[in-house]
Amino acid sequence: MTTTPAHSDPARSDPESSGGASTERLTFWEEATRWTLSVDHKKLGLMYIAAGLVFFLIGGVEAAFMRLQLMKADAGIIDPETFNQLFTMHGTTMVFLVGMPILLGFGNYLIPLMVGARDMAFPRLNAFGFWLFIFGGILLYFSYIGSQGLYGAPSAPDVGWFAYAPLTSRTFSRGNSTDYWILGILVSGFGSMTTAINFIATILCMRCPGMKLMRMPMIAWMMLVVAGLVLVAIPVLTAAQAMLLLDRSLGAHFFDPETQGSAVLWQHLFWFFGHPEVYILILPAFGFVSEILPVFSRKAIFGYSLMVAATVGIGFIALGVWAHHMFVIGMGPVLDSFFAAATFLISVPTGIKIFNWIGTMWGGRLRFATPMLFVTGFIAMFVIGGLTGIMLATVPMDWQLSDSYFVVGHFHYVLFGGTVFGIFGAIFYWFPKATGRMLDDKLGKWTFWLLFIGFTLTFMPMHVSGVLGMPRRVYTYEADRGFELWNMISTIGVPVQMAGILVFLWNVVRSLRKGEIAGNDPWDAWTLEWATTSPPPEWNFDRVPTVTSARPLWDLKNPEDPDAHYE
Amino acid sequence: MSDAPNEHEAPYLRAIPRPTPWPLITAFGCTLVFAGIVTHVLVSVTGAACAIVGLVGWFREVFPHEATEEIPIAQCEIPLPAPVLAPRSTPRHTVRKLVPEEIHPYRSGLVGGLIGAAAMAIVAAAWGIIDAGSIWMPINLLAGVVLPSIGSASEEALKSFNGTWFACSAFLHVSLSLMVGLIFVVALPMMPKRPLIAGGIIAPILWTGVAWASLHVVNPTLEQHISWPWFLASQIAFGCACGGVVARFNMVRLQFGQTIAERLDVEQSKGGSR
Amino acid sequence: MRTMSNEASVVMSATTTMPSRAKVGMASLIFMESAFFAAFLVTYLYYIGKSPDGPQPLDCLELGPVLFNSACLIASSVTVVFAVKSLARGAVGAFRLWMVVTILLGLEFLVGTGIEWRGLIEGKGLTLQSNAFGTTYYALVGFHAFHVAIGLLMLFGMLLLSLCGCINPKRDHMRVDIATWYWHFVDVVWIFVFTLVYIIGKVPQGGSL
Ligand SMILES: [Cu+2]
Repeated sequence: MTTTPAHSDPARSDPESSGGASTERLTFWEEATRWTLSVDHKKLGLMYIAAGLVFFLIGGVEAAFMRLQLMKADAGIIDPETFNQLFTMHGTTMVFLVGMPILLGFGNYLIPLMVGARDMAFPRLNAFGFWLFIFGGILLYFSYIGSQGLYGAPSAPDVGWFAYAPLTSRTFSRGNSTDYWILGILVSGFGSMTTAINFIATILCMRCPGMKLMRMPMIAWMMLVVAGLVLVAIPVLTAAQAMLLLDRSLGAHFFDPETQGSAVLWQHLFWFFGHPEVYILILPAFGFVSEILPVFSRKAIFGYSLMVAATVGIGFIALGVWAHHMFVIGMGPVLDSFFAAATFLISVPTGIKIFNWIGTMWGGRLRFATPMLFVTGFIAMFVIGGLTGIMLATVPMDWQLSDSYFVVGHFHYVLFGGTVFGIFGAIFYWFPKATGRMLDDKLGKWTFWLLFIGFTLTFMPMHVSGVLGMPRRVYTYEADRGFELWNMISTIGVPVQMAGILVFLWNVVRSLRKGEIAGNDPWDAWTLEWATTSPPPEWNFDRVPTVTSARPLWDLKNPEDPDAHYE
Repeated sequence: MSDAPNEHEAPYLRAIPRPTPWPLITAFGCTLVFAGIVTHVLVSVTGAACAIVGLVGWFREVFPHEATEEIPIAQCEIPLPAPVLAPRSTPRHTVRKLVPEEIHPYRSGLVGGLIGAAAMAIVAAAWGIIDAGSIWMPINLLAGVVLPSIGSASEEALKSFNGTWFACSAFLHVSLSLMVGLIFVVALPMMPKRPLIAGGIIAPILWTGVAWASLHVVNPTLEQHISWPWFLASQIAFGCACGGVVARFNMVRLQFGQTIAERLDVEQSKGGSR
Repeated sequence: MRTMSNEASVVMSATTTMPSRAKVGMASLIFMESAFFAAFLVTYLYYIGKSPDGPQPLDCLELGPVLFNSACLIASSVTVVFAVKSLARGAVGAFRLWMVVTILLGLEFLVGTGIEWRGLIEGKGLTLQSNAFGTTYYALVGFHAFHVAIGLLMLFGMLLLSLCGCINPKRDHMRVDIATWYWHFVDVVWIFVFTLVYIIGKVPQGGSL
């Protein structure tokens, strides 16, 4: 038993050694069984991310078909029924089967490493949540072959991702495709909730010595708030879906206006989930930005405590703004003003974050490697999405623009320009930790610029067509409405984005085999995950580390000027 | 759900949770229970059976003791390489946070604010006499920011002296000027390069823009009387005078030991980026 | 600039207090379930007085039997505390006895609810489909009863483990304690449901919407 800490063993940083536990190569089936039965948070996290990326491709193809149909006026490539299924499945997939699992996957992978724990608090519950998500997703997509739609033919759900009543009533949604939507989301929702419980228990109970709450990496804080939001928001969706299921299968009268039910109640319940969901999807990306920016600016994050306060503030305010999605149902001036004001209020903590990120970059020595590119792209795109959000929170403006393509443009700026860019930044940043090899930076920059240009081409014109009056969810439009140019530009952006994604996939495949060996700490970073090998062993740390500041590795690397002096 | 003490294990003997199929089987069973609703009740029954078997198996994994897989000591013997401790080649004066370490004395803000206030008053009075026809016009309009009734006052009333309005206007003018002067004290040292351009020209243009955009919401009738070019000129007069005076004072070092900045973990750098 | 001396104290202070993950996990679960029930409670509240036709709460809901059921459920929350206390003392026999009492009280609640439902369905003609009142009533009370059943299964499982000698008082009394939190939670939810359904909700329904 040797305990010399300074000595480094090259065998350990060899990525072929599969976590360092055993050095001999396993057959494909042995390897597959290991992954399937694993309760290791790192394996589960990677499986989450991989599954999320697969669904991302599926959802992307669905979107591409829609753009193809909308490229020209009066096009007949896709019939209206299929179009309804496409936008329903695209929205549902992207929110529940792409955004949530990838972010939960990153949480899974990073939280224990970052707070200095050996694993999650409940490793088996973690696996349970993952498999619920997988089976829920499969159940949802099984509707394409297994459900009975109109005239008995299989049909995917076609009621939109927010499934407004009374479209979901038996009268308007024949067959059981809507039931597939309910059950698929219900099951994967259970998975999200168990994972959220795991996050909270891990962050509160498994931190290493010295890792006080106010020393945790920003991601841990973001994930803590996200987990709290999941625990409040998803059960409400589950409850609403249970009611809808009772309506549809046992003849209850929750949401069907024909029988004294209330369609507005569904909207309230759905959006009470739906708005926090937006923050569930964006807060982890905030976390990625808050980790990546400082490292590539060579400065500590600006205003850590304010950042934490803003995160917690967002978490609370996010629960009180849901009805800004419902201004057009006629809630009356009092409720309208309340929800508009609450929405304006939430822009304050969000603005604080933006300022802190800029403050972090200010005066730093910026290195524009691929993760940094994505992160700065994130800030720019998110600011645009945030500002159009404030426009939509203004009630008269919303009356004009609600359910138009302006809204589509707005939330894609938040969820694609925001969340997805954040995710790509995170993938490029932590890929070396997870695999031991770097992703190629040059290909990464190609990915970024293709995605950035394609994204802007696709979604910027949607604001214009929306202001011109193009409603969302229409399968086609007439030729003389002035929408054609903007829709054409939008569709042109799609192949550009696809090229970016293809370059990324090629990059992953190539780098997994021949990427540059990363070493333990390729970015010269400061959080605990970089203190262990790449990839980390199954037990994460040989000795549980003890930390003295929010940047433990800074303290290690700069013993003459540790952060601990400034706390 | 035991609280296994994770700090009392022998060095380099690692116990990690044993891989197990039970959570997978339970999840599959739960999904089948729900899938039965859209397929056949037998699917639900199978799923329930599956879930129960899974739950029992799962429970036996954690009760009475957590099932773990122990990594043999031999494989753990090689310690993880310690993080890089070598000094880096990059220069050492890394900036951590940007907060001015030296600022102008607060006194300079007060003096600058007053002088700026005078400069602004002169331009405003000039506008009143040359363009608006009465020196009382700008004074009454300023009072209109807090007294909404002025917005609906007649043209004559706006052009004649009113004691209350004058007092109100004077108080507003002086207090706002002092406040902005104090902000200049801490803001100017943070501005890149030439503080006079930022404080004297850019900042006035920005806040004139804000006033221009928001005044028709705050007091729409008032907006009709205002001449924006003159307004901007008066603000630039203020900015230049105030900024010039503040910049003339020598910088003083902040005592960081007791300030809120330190308690917020903000660390000083070498006098901003100057 | 501070000195190095407070570094050590900083580290020490953080090592001592880490909450138990079982407790945090159970608390989070209860928090999540509360959100679930909050949605149903709000929905019930929303539909009070909005069933112009069909069976009415004033005619259907009788306080007598449900008060007895509620008393049993609340009493079971007390007896389960006695059970946990006995186990902590090491008195396994008393633990089993109190668990049996708790389970019987919980079963009484479920059976009582069943009898009440049969009366409502057969006597008053109130079903899930009759009107908004029926829909929300059966959904809310039904989901609560479902959670009572889950809690009962947990209690029953612990009793079985104890009967086959698998529960070691010294090792397991904390786990048992935390598991019974769920039972208390089910109890507290019932207090809300009872107040809403049997007290606040017993108002005349508006003749016109
Ligand atoms: Cu919203």
